[in-house]
Amino acid sequence: MTEEALTAAGVSVAYRRPDGSLTTVVSGVSLTLEPGRVVGLVGESGCGKTSLALACMGTAAEGGVITCGSVTLDGLDLLTAPRTVLRALWGDRLAHVPQNPATSLNPATRIGRQLAQPIATHLGLTGKALHERATDLLERVGITHPTQALRRYPHEFSGGQEQRIALALALSCDPRVLILDEPTTGLDVTTQARIVTLLQGIITDTSAAALYISHDLALISTVADRLLVMYAGEIVESGATRDLVHTPRHPYTQALLAAQPSAHERRAVRGLPGRPPGHVVIDRCSFAPRCRHAEPECVAEHPVLQPLPGSRAVRCVRHDRLEFSAQPVDAWALPAEPEPVHILELDGLWCRYRKQAEPALSDFSLAIARGDTVAVVGESGSGKSTLLRAIAGLHPPGEGIVRFQGYRLAPAVRHRPDQVRRDIQLVFQDPDSSLNPRQRVGEILSRPIRLFRSDVARHEEAHTVTTALDQVGLAASTARRYPNELSGGQRQRVAVARAFLARPALLLCDEVTSALDVSVQATVLELIADLAATFATTVIFVSHDLAVVRTICRRVVVIRAGRLCEDGQADDVFRAPRHAYTRELIAAIPPPPGAAGSRRAT
Amino acid sequence: MSVAIAPPSLASPAQDGPLTRVWRPILGTREGRMGVPLAGVMVILIVVGRFAAPYPPDKIGVAIPGSAPSWEHLLGADGLGRDVLSRFLTGGTSVLVTPLGAVSVSFLLGGALGLLAAYRGGVTDQVVSRLFDLLLTIPPLLTVLVLLASLGRSPLIIILVVGLVFIPWVGRVARGAAQPVVTNDYVHAAVARGESTWWILRREVLPNIAAPLIGAFSLYLTSGIVFVSTLSFLGLGDQPPSSSWGLMVAESRGLILTNPAAALAPALGIAVVSVSFMLIADAVTRHVLRDTGQGRPAR
Repeated sequence: MTEEALTAAGVSVAYRRPDGSLTTVVSGVSLTLEPGRVVGLVGESGCGKTSLALACMGTAAEGGVITCGSVTLDGLDLLTAPRTVLRALWGDRLAHVPQNPATSLNPATRIGRQLAQPIATHLGLTGKALHERATDLLERVGITHPTQALRRYPHEFSGGQEQRIALALALSCDPRVLILDEPTTGLDVTTQARIVTLLQGIITDTSAAALYISHDLALISTVADRLLVMYAGEIVESGATRDLVHTPRHPYTQALLAAQPSAHERRAVRGLPGRPPGHVVIDRCSFAPRCRHAEPECVAEHPVLQPLPGSRAVRCVRHDRLEFSAQPVDAWALPAEPEPVHILELDGLWCRYRKQAEPALSDFSLAIARGDTVAVVGESGSGKSTLLRAIAGLHPPGEGIVRFQGYRLAPAVRHRPDQVRRDIQLVFQDPDSSLNPRQRVGEILSRPIRLFRSDVARHEEAHTVTTALDQVGLAASTARRYPNELSGGQRQRVAVARAFLARPALLLCDEVTSALDVSVQATVLELIADLAATFATTVIFVSHDLAVVRTICRRVVVIRAGRLCEDGQADDVFRAPRHAYTRELIAAIPPPPGAAGSRRAT
Repeated sequence: MSVAIAPPSLASPAQDGPLTRVWRPILGTREGRMGVPLAGVMVILIVVGRFAAPYPPDKIGVAIPGSAPSWEHLLGADGLGRDVLSRFLTGGTSVLVTPLGAVSVSFLLGGALGLLAAYRGGVTDQVVSRLFDLLLTIPPLLTVLVLLASLGRSPLIIILVVGLVFIPWVGRVARGAAQPVVTNDYVHAAVARGESTWWILRREVLPNIAAPLIGAFSLYLTSGIVFVSTLSFLGLGDQPPSSSWGLMVAESRGLILTNPAAALAPALGIAVVSVSFMLIADAVTRHVLRDTGQGRPAR
């Protein structure tokens, strides 16, 4: 227990701005990594998690400097060690798994050569021994046919396999310390679960000390023994995982938990408005502007990290006076009971992409009741996005019938009447791509008004735009701004506003929250549920995130390889899945934070 | 994860009008600071110069034919005894207007075709791309020679014919720039709204490829200036007694020993105009390169 692998004390990191001044993004962070144990680091994007991870490696990103503190590995201070010493350590005793394996693996080099490099450099193995070690490593991370895999290039593997290879690379010299920077973000639920299980096994086997970074509290609480919650470059709360998720003491931890949708029970999510300041705040509580419990005393001075019994600590002046429940109790308004009329009927849809042998959708039939909220769930490549595009008429099906409000629709959107184009609206996955960067928000929003809202006179357009912005919680001044001046969450809200301005009868949502942070995701989910209820809109919600689906949908449709697997009420499907694939999906859900199924209780 | 630095004043470029957005970065480069004033001086000279001409440009025998520069005739006289300075000051118009017209024609036609090819894809793209390839294989000077010989040599025809030469080049630039843009969901959203193809190309696609197109415009304008001057040097463009610079060079090249200024002044004029536009093209290309690096925030 007392043996420490890596100790960081009072680490601060700053970035040089173009004008030469320094912006502090990490301030006075201390942490200890112990062999065989995982420390989880959680917080929103822009809280300094990656900067801290790099500091633990003894370095900083371009433009960054570690201004003070020490990082000790086996008695050696990494921050004062010369670069040559660090280079000998990296990949040997201290390994890093970056967020995106697609960019960390060299696309032009075979896996074998990439794996051989650290092994030859640090362990001095050559020839047969080297080859054996490389195949062993690939086998250990679950790559089948490791010998063939060594001869292949990174692009020949799927995203999950690439992450396994990145992991093999990190493990190549039996590191004592593993720094994992969002290693499963962007992967499918099932793949995510497999990687996490693999990681747990490896950490237990090799008794490496690990720092696991994620913004996903549900996921991180299944792997981590201790949690550090980071906000604006500082640790705001720390403690054993179980204590932290059951009795969060800091309002930020509480807010993160409240924003986390759960796949285990149907419950409300509460979004966290605003975004982190992006730098360290020293004269007051940095979370106060977004805190529901903020009082004048919170902005009077900067709170210190107070130790609490049970090796916990919290940075909040009011922590002992605040009453928190572990879970938000306010129930989410269940979507209204659907009417017994079908708004949409799909009959025997076949969709193909020109270059693919397998059809994206094969003989797909589905009927959707008016006023229902239906989730379409499946892995990437299962055909769920194609389904939405077929309904919207953007990818006309090769065969089959789309019937909307009783009328048969033309397959291509340009042959459909205006009324249908108004009634079916689509919200896309990535607001970066769905909002034209050269159009102001006002122009973007006035277009559906001009086309679809004959009830709005020309001179009332600006007012209607303002109202729509207000409905999605954006200021009226947003109309004059360009999309790149907004945050990801704000952009997605503009996209939602655009869809609802047409007053659609059917809203198609394509992975609308997968590009967003958990705290922002919650606000967008709230918004869609709210507006759908207000305007009595039927919603089809495509997602790979089961927790999100459980939160806002009444009915679940599971789709795999272009075929329907399972279809039923959300509660029934989650409680008693009938199809084997659905069972697999549900088994991959991380257990609820801090539950008995979590890795370790201590 | 992006490091926690406030985004470096992303706000200002977006709030300016499109003109400021283009000009400010151009003037921020060394090429721009040289090219823009140079082009400005030449344009003023070409437009206003005619009013400062000391003699009628096509009056024969105002000086001794082929005489060297003197105080009465600052650039001397040409083979017919016409004042070279007066001819120089009046002859620049076609060097500027004809290429401008021709390149504009090629941008309207080639740009529209390229955009359409990128947007429609499939058969349309194949047909348009092969058409561009076909046009590229024909030697431009030969085409123009044949066409001008059969269609006549009015300025409008010259503009259209020279425009034809640049259509495939411009079309390929437009197609290449538009291809990544048309895959964006905002284009799909516009299709789903039922917008017309023309509206989508003009409002959703064009603003996003304006920067590379502006760069290509100044580049092809330079080529156009040289090409049109070549035509008039070869006697295919403006006809005597026009004082068009290319024609002046052609007519006076025999006088290079007695009055070199008669051929050098118009040649220099052509050179300076094309170099200044080339500098602007360079500046724009730099601006374009910088712009594509920053245009979209990293995810």
